[in-house]
Amino acid sequence: MGQFLIKRVLHMIPILLGVSLLTFLLLDLTPGDYFTALENNPQITKERLDQLRAKWHLDESWYVQYGYWIKNLWFANGKLGDLKSQWNKEADGRVWRVIKHAVMPDFGDSLQYKQPSSQLITLRLWNTFMLSLMAMILAWGIALPLGIWAAVKKDSWVDRSCSGIAFLGLSIPEILLGLLALMFAYSTGWFPIGGVESDMYYGVDEWSIPRLMDRFHHLLLPAAVLAASSLAGLMRQMRSNLLDTLRAEYVTTARAKGLGEGWVIYKHALRNAINPLLTIFGYSLAHLLSGAFIVENVMSWPGLGRLTLEALQQQDYPLVVAAVLMATALLMAGNFVADLLLAWSDPRIRLEK
Amino acid sequence: MPLLDIQDLHLEFGTGADAVRAVDGLSLTIAEGETLGLVGESGCGKSVTALSITRLVPAPPARYTSGRILLDGKDVLKMEQSKLRHIRGKMVSYIFQEPGSSLNPVFRVGSQIKESLQLHRPEMATDSEVIRLLKLVGIPAPELRIKDYPHQMSGGMQQRIMIAMALASEPRLLVADEPTTALDVTIQAQILDLLRDLKQRLRMSILLITHNLGIVGDIADRVAVMYAGQVVELAPARDLLQRPLHPYTQALMNSVPKLGREAGRLQSIPGTVPAVGAFPSGCRFHPRCPKAQPDCSKKVPELIEVEPSRFVRCPYWSHGKL
Amino acid sequence: MNEAIDPTNNPNARIPRTPWRLFWDRLRRRRLALTGGIILVFLYAVTLLAGFVSPYHFEREDRERFFHPPIRPMFDGFRLVVPRFKPVEGQLAKYERVQGETRSLRFFVQGDKYKLAGLIPCQTHLLGTGDEQIPVYLLGTDQLGRDVFSRLLYGSQISLSIGLIGILLTFSMGMLVGGISGYFGGWADTIIMRLCELIMSVPGLYLILTLRSVFPAGMSSTHVYLLIIVILSFIGWASMARVIRGMTLSLRERQFVLAARVLGQTRLKIIARHILPNTFSYVIVAATLSVPYYILGEVILSYLAVGIQEPQASWGLMLKDAYVNRQNLTLYPWLLAPGAAIFITVLAFNFLGDGLRDAADTKST
Repeated sequence: MGQFLIKRVLHMIPILLGVSLLTFLLLDLTPGDYFTALENNPQITKERLDQLRAKWHLDESWYVQYGYWIKNLWFANGKLGDLKSQWNKEADGRVWRVIKHAVMPDFGDSLQYKQPSSQLITLRLWNTFMLSLMAMILAWGIALPLGIWAAVKKDSWVDRSCSGIAFLGLSIPEILLGLLALMFAYSTGWFPIGGVESDMYYGVDEWSIPRLMDRFHHLLLPAAVLAASSLAGLMRQMRSNLLDTLRAEYVTTARAKGLGEGWVIYKHALRNAINPLLTIFGYSLAHLLSGAFIVENVMSWPGLGRLTLEALQQQDYPLVVAAVLMATALLMAGNFVADLLLAWSDPRIRLEK
Repeated sequence: MPLLDIQDLHLEFGTGADAVRAVDGLSLTIAEGETLGLVGESGCGKSVTALSITRLVPAPPARYTSGRILLDGKDVLKMEQSKLRHIRGKMVSYIFQEPGSSLNPVFRVGSQIKESLQLHRPEMATDSEVIRLLKLVGIPAPELRIKDYPHQMSGGMQQRIMIAMALASEPRLLVADEPTTALDVTIQAQILDLLRDLKQRLRMSILLITHNLGIVGDIADRVAVMYAGQVVELAPARDLLQRPLHPYTQALMNSVPKLGREAGRLQSIPGTVPAVGAFPSGCRFHPRCPKAQPDCSKKVPELIEVEPSRFVRCPYWSHGKL
Repeated sequence: MNEAIDPTNNPNARIPRTPWRLFWDRLRRRRLALTGGIILVFLYAVTLLAGFVSPYHFEREDRERFFHPPIRPMFDGFRLVVPRFKPVEGQLAKYERVQGETRSLRFFVQGDKYKLAGLIPCQTHLLGTGDEQIPVYLLGTDQLGRDVFSRLLYGSQISLSIGLIGILLTFSMGMLVGGISGYFGGWADTIIMRLCELIMSVPGLYLILTLRSVFPAGMSSTHVYLLIIVILSFIGWASMARVIRGMTLSLRERQFVLAARVLGQTRLKIIARHILPNTFSYVIVAATLSVPYYILGEVILSYLAVGIQEPQASWGLMLKDAYVNRQNLTLYPWLLAPGAAIFITVLAFNFLGDGLRDAADTKST
């Protein structure tokens, strides 16, 4: 088990390196750079631009830039001094603060915000994570019971309406659903539009109940839009899995034992029908993150996707690399959790392989 | 009164014009303590018959059009669901062909056996009773095995678990549906020995379903041969194996290799088993029968008692040469 | 055991049908799949004749009637007539009906010039009033007074073709690479699979947009159109190749492949003749079900302003116009019409793909 965990975590490193390398390569192929837009500005001289480019290593070839980037992840110039100043700061938990600063990778400063990219991203990543998590809770929470219901009542009106809804949910594009949700919010006024919270809560305690409620209120509509398409797919999958397992021989065995139909379905069949769903968990997460990208842009949710789009348009390369890497890491973490869940749920899967 | 008395059972799948008859006028009895072998090729309706004893065939699509299945004098086909659950597992237990897929892969074998105990003998639902059952079916080191999952065991061990689970409720009738087909030959013999041993020790009735005539002689008291949804011959096991009367039984015997004989060519039965719903007219075996007469395709033969306790569904039956 | 049917011996056995015949028989019984298929045939036919079916050219701007609501032709006796509307004085984008003034709706009227199917110069339109002052805007107009219905039809040329071309590119690439990877194994397999893994580990849209940024923003619509296909295929081939590889791995151990090898056929020939054809039923189903991915890909890129550019019409671009601000969305809901068009198209593909999948699944009844 422990070995498996270590192996899986180690396996992520080459992929993250590959993704960062690929991103650097692609950004290098992009015509111009962040400072191209300043070239037409008469107040900025050519020399000044060259200075700026040299400062950010933009005058070097892409692999040199990549080398600097890798080195700066943990061993930036002046990092020791930075750690020292953290230590000297008179506040509680200075040991932890120093360790945190030493371990956290430094993705470089954003060119447009002049702030560390990791700082900019943390907040956005959290928003995207909350949006995806909420959508996932909604999707799984609704899809599983509905899928079970449809399978148990196969060919009834319940089953038929569920499959009808599934088709609609699978086919309605997130953009359209997002726009319709906005229309709904505008015309009813029941839901706030855009952002993670209302301005009035600025500066209020993070964990105060009204502020959390307000955040939840903001989250609900985007999450519902995002959940719609995963919900439909999951529901169909749940239904067909349960129907498959209901045909399995161990279900006949369970009936032959004299178990009631409820026990047969909810203990023997359902327990097996869940396992294939866990294997598509990873896939549905990838789908969810792409969907979140759309929902963030249509419904003005300040998440990683919107940040990435802005950074790409500005050619703010440290921010782009950091954002793409974080999205990848989020996806891989989700797949990792799915593997663990599956191993926990299905005794036939062994982690030590 | 026999323990099980199936009278003139008719079973169809589907409705209306699409309906196909899988079992057609089947009658069988099993006495207390008796072992009946039910033999036939796949698709002849023997498994559906076995499942019908406790109405385990999903209905719909299945439909019982006529007949009765009396278990201890009570008609199973007219029973309510709640009563059926007391029969299933309690009076009648099952062992199936594929132990690997008949055991639930996500539960430990101990807990699957215990589930049977909880249902039918709740006062005995303890680890020690599970271990006793595992010992009874010959599983070594049962204390360690109860924590295993089915996939951690070999096929033979899995089938022993199935048998232990079936015995947990102390059934009066054990239905073994091809219990050895999926196993290696050496394991087959072990499982059959176990069944024979259990039969003598526990004095229960057994319905042994198989397509292999070879194994029924070992263990059955009487044998019924099924073809295309009908019983074609019914006789005491020894008589039937020594002197098969129906041409189909004879053909089946000729297709089984025997030890201690001149190695002649094995004879196969020409043609194929008719699919359910495409049964020929008249005698169902006539297209493949070496002794077919012109009127065989017209008249449906009856099951007649030709000798004491020997029944044959063929007017041209004969003592076949073996 | 003896399940094989021998028609020569058994008079009751039915004559075996070919796999394709079986497939078609099963598909025919699925009403949803047929509905999807019929809708698609209709949509593609209309798309091919977009210039003819649309009453106006997609670039034609009616400066007097921007944000005009949909105009519904009415019955006057047995004639279909179009009422006349005029702007309300002093109010923006408000129109009122001029009582008593109508023009009959006519078929095959002369109007804007276009090229039929992109080739034949033509001027005849299926519908129209033939009167500039009494236009027929079935789905209203946008902020520049362009006919939404006409733009929708022209836009469908992009959306509907992008799916087919994209699928063709992705699947030929996926099948080739996957087949090679699975059949040959070794280092080629390792490299290809690592590459697939890399591509698949980045959430789709992040990679798509990064790839898009490699190319300048202000490209012509034709170039962007090709670019979108290439980008979507670049990402799509990976998952396809992985599945085909898996299937090839199991197929190459099968008897008929061994037989072909014993007969001395070359490896490429075995892949092309014996292995890949066996993956076709999967490929056809997967292709049908992934056409929406390409349609939606264009929509998203155009919506995010890095796809098809004005004045060209595309469904994503039109959706972008629908939500410039709050007023647009609530006052001019007809601008969401392309959304409905996407929905219907994707639904039809899902219906068809689902039916194909069931029909290809021999276990189902």
